[in-house]
Amino acid sequence: MLFCLISKSYANENIDERVKKLTLELRCMTCQNQSIYDSDAEFSNNIKKIIRDKFEKGENETDIKKFLVQRYGEYILFRPLINYNNSFLWVFPFILLVFGLFFIVIKSRKNKA
Amino acid sequence: MSSLIGFLSLVFAIGINFYLLISKYIFKFKNLPFYLFIRLSSLLTLLSFFALMYAYIVSDFSNYNVFQNSHSNKPLIYKIAGTWGNHEGSMLLWMTVLSIYSFFFSFTKNIEDSFKRSTLLIQAFIHIMFGLFVVLTSNPFLVNSIFVEEGLGLNPILQDPGLAVHPPILYAGYVGYSIVFSISIAGLFQNRDDEWLHVAKKWSLISWTFLTGGIALGSYWAYYELGWGGWWFWDPVENVSLMPWIAGLALVHSLMMIRGEQALIRWIVFLSILCFSLSVFGTFLVRSGILTSVHSFAADSSRGIFILLIFFIITGFGFLVFLLKEPKKSYSLKLLLINKASALVINNILMVIATLTILLGTIYPIIIEVLNNKRISVGGPYFNSTVIPIMIPGFLLMSVAPILSWQTNKIKNSKLYVLAFIFLSVAVLIQSFYLTFNTWGFIGILIGSWIILASIIAIFFSYKTKLNIKFFQIINPHVAHIGVGIAIIGITCSSVLKSEFEFNLNEGDKFEIYDTKILFKKIETKNEINFQSLRAKFLFDLGNKEIKEIQAGKNYYPVSKMITSEAGILHQWYRDIYFILGDQKNDQWFVKVLINPFVSFIWLGVLIMIYSGLIAVTRR
Repeated sequence: MLFCLISKSYANENIDERVKKLTLELRCMTCQNQSIYDSDAEFSNNIKKIIRDKFEKGENETDIKKFLVQRYGEYILFRPLINYNNSFLWVFPFILLVFGLFFIVIKSRKNKA
Repeated sequence: MSSLIGFLSLVFAIGINFYLLISKYIFKFKNLPFYLFIRLSSLLTLLSFFALMYAYIVSDFSNYNVFQNSHSNKPLIYKIAGTWGNHEGSMLLWMTVLSIYSFFFSFTKNIEDSFKRSTLLIQAFIHIMFGLFVVLTSNPFLVNSIFVEEGLGLNPILQDPGLAVHPPILYAGYVGYSIVFSISIAGLFQNRDDEWLHVAKKWSLISWTFLTGGIALGSYWAYYELGWGGWWFWDPVENVSLMPWIAGLALVHSLMMIRGEQALIRWIVFLSILCFSLSVFGTFLVRSGILTSVHSFAADSSRGIFILLIFFIITGFGFLVFLLKEPKKSYSLKLLLINKASALVINNILMVIATLTILLGTIYPIIIEVLNNKRISVGGPYFNSTVIPIMIPGFLLMSVAPILSWQTNKIKNSKLYVLAFIFLSVAVLIQSFYLTFNTWGFIGILIGSWIILASIIAIFFSYKTKLNIKFFQIINPHVAHIGVGIAIIGITCSSVLKSEFEFNLNEGDKFEIYDTKILFKKIETKNEINFQSLRAKFLFDLGNKEIKEIQAGKNYYPVSKMITSEAGILHQWYRDIYFILGDQKNDQWFVKVLINPFVSFIWLGVLIMIYSGLIAVTRR
C-alpha cells in the first residue's frame, strides 16, 4: 500500500510542484532569510525561471542543486548537504538520542535492582 | 538634562550593587540595610530607563542615541517604543527587567533570609556585568556632538504596535531566568534542602509564560508584517528565542516532579543554568551582529567580545558550582515502564536534545565559516527533519502523561484510552483521504487531536463536584496540553494544506477563490504622518449579504527611504485569506493570495498555554 502511495504521488508531481519543492529549500541570496519560492526579488524570479527550464530539459533535482552550488556556493541551500563538513551537524541529534536512551535504560535498571 | 540624570542614576545603581557585593565578602558589615539598597539600586536603574524614554518622548536630539534612532514626526507610541528599538536602549531595557525581577524577589516571603540575600547578590553580580557592558560599550546617554533639529528615524519595519510591546515581554521572559539561575546557584552554594525548588518553580513559570507571549507576538508580527505568508522561518534569531523556551519548558516539567516526591535536583539545577546561559548566549548572538537579521541593529566587534566574556563568566561560574557542589538531599527516582516519573524524564531528555539540535544548527554556519571559510546555510528543512521527529515521541507521551501514576505502572481506564485512540486514528485516516493524503499532515492532525481527546477524557474523569479555583488548578496540566494539541493542528494544517493563487488584476475586476467572490475595488494612496501608503481594497461577498473589506499594500517611509509591505488578511476561524500586493505591470496589479487553513488555532493554542501558565503560578 505504501508503494502505491509513493508511486501515485510521483505521477502527480508535475513540473510546477517540483519547482516549488526545490525553490522552497533554496535561499534568496539578495533577501534576508527568505526562500526563493517565497520571494519576489529579481534574483529569485531569475532562479525560478532557470530551474523551470532545467526541469523541462529533463534534469533532476541533484543536477540542478549541483549547478546552483557551483554558481553561488553552498550558502544557497537551506538544507545543508550531507558531506564530510556537515557530517557532525547531521549525526549529532542521533548521538544525543542514543545517549538519552542509554541514560534511561541505565536509570531504570538501577531501580529494578 | 534627562540624559545626564539617566546616566548618573545608572552609574549609581551599579555602584550600589558593587558596594553590596564587596561589603558582603570583604568588610562584612552586619547591619547593612541590604534589601533597602537592593531596591534602591533597582529603582535607580528604572529611573535611568525612564530618563532615556523621556528623551525619546520629547525628541531630545542632543542625545546621540535619540538622534540616531528617532524622528520628531513619529506617533507617540513609536517614540516610546524607540527607546528599545536600538541596541543601546534594548540593553538598558535588559538591565531594567533584571532590576525589576530583583526588586520583586526581595519581597518574597516563605524563604530564609540568608538564602534570599545570596540570590540577590548573584543578581547584583549579573547587574554589574551588564551595567559595565552598557556604560563602557553601549551607552545610550552619549551627547550628540553636533547641534541638529531632526533625528534619523526608526526602522519602519519596527513601527508596529505588536512589535512595540514585543521586546519588553520577550525580555521579561529571557531575563526572568536570571532569577531562576540565581536561586538554584544560591541553593547549591548554601547546601540548602529542597525548599528552594518551590520558589524556583514559581519564577520559572513566570518567565516561561512571558517568553511564550513574547515569541508569539514576534511570530504574529512576522505573519502580518513581513508579508511572506508564514509565521515561523527558523530564522537564527527565532531559534535563539526558541532554545530557552524549550529548555524552560523542560525545567517547568522537571519542577513538577517535586509533587511526586522524586525530583532530580541536579538535573533541575542543570536546566536552570542552561536556560539562563541560553538567554545570555542569545543576547550575544543577536547583539554581536554575527547574525544578520531585523534584530541586529549594529555590528560592533568590541560589543560582541564583551558579551561573549559575560557569557563565559556566567556559564562557567554556573557549571563550576554545578560540578563542585552536590545537592544535599537526593530523591530516589522510580522509573517504570511507564509511570509519571519516567514519562517526565523521557520528555525532558527529548526537549533538551531538541534544544541542543537547534543550538547546533544555529551556530553551525558560524563554526564552518571560521574553520574553512565557507558559507553554508542551515535553514528550515534541516530543523524540520531533525527537531520534529525528535519531538514526536514526546507529543505521544504528553497525551497520556498527566493520567499516569507516580508509583505504579497501572493506568486507570486504559482500555477506554486504547479504544479512543484506535477510533480516532481511523477517523483521521478517512478524513485525510478526502483531502489530499499527506503523511506529515496525517501524523500532525492525529497527534494533535489525540492530545486534545486524551486530555478531555482526563478532565472528564477528574471532574468531581464544584467548579472552583481548585478544580481549575487540578485540570490545569490537561488544559495546557489541549492548548498544545490545538496549536499542533494549526501548525500542521497551515503548513501542509496551504494553497496559493496568483492574479493579474485591473481595478474593478471580480474573481473567485474556492466559493468566495472577491471584488478588487480600487487602489488608494494616502499621506500619513510619517509615511505614504498605497492600498488595494478588496471586497468579500461572504453570502447572507455580509460584505467585508480588506486592504493590502505597501508603505513608503521617506525618512529612511524604505518600502514595507502590508499584507491584507481576512480572518475566518477555519482559515486566513492572505493578500499580498505585488507590482504594477501594464496597468495590471500582481496579487498573490494564500489560503492558510486553521492559522487561528495556533494563536488560540498559544493563548491557552499562556492562560495555564498563569494558573500554574497561582498553585502552591
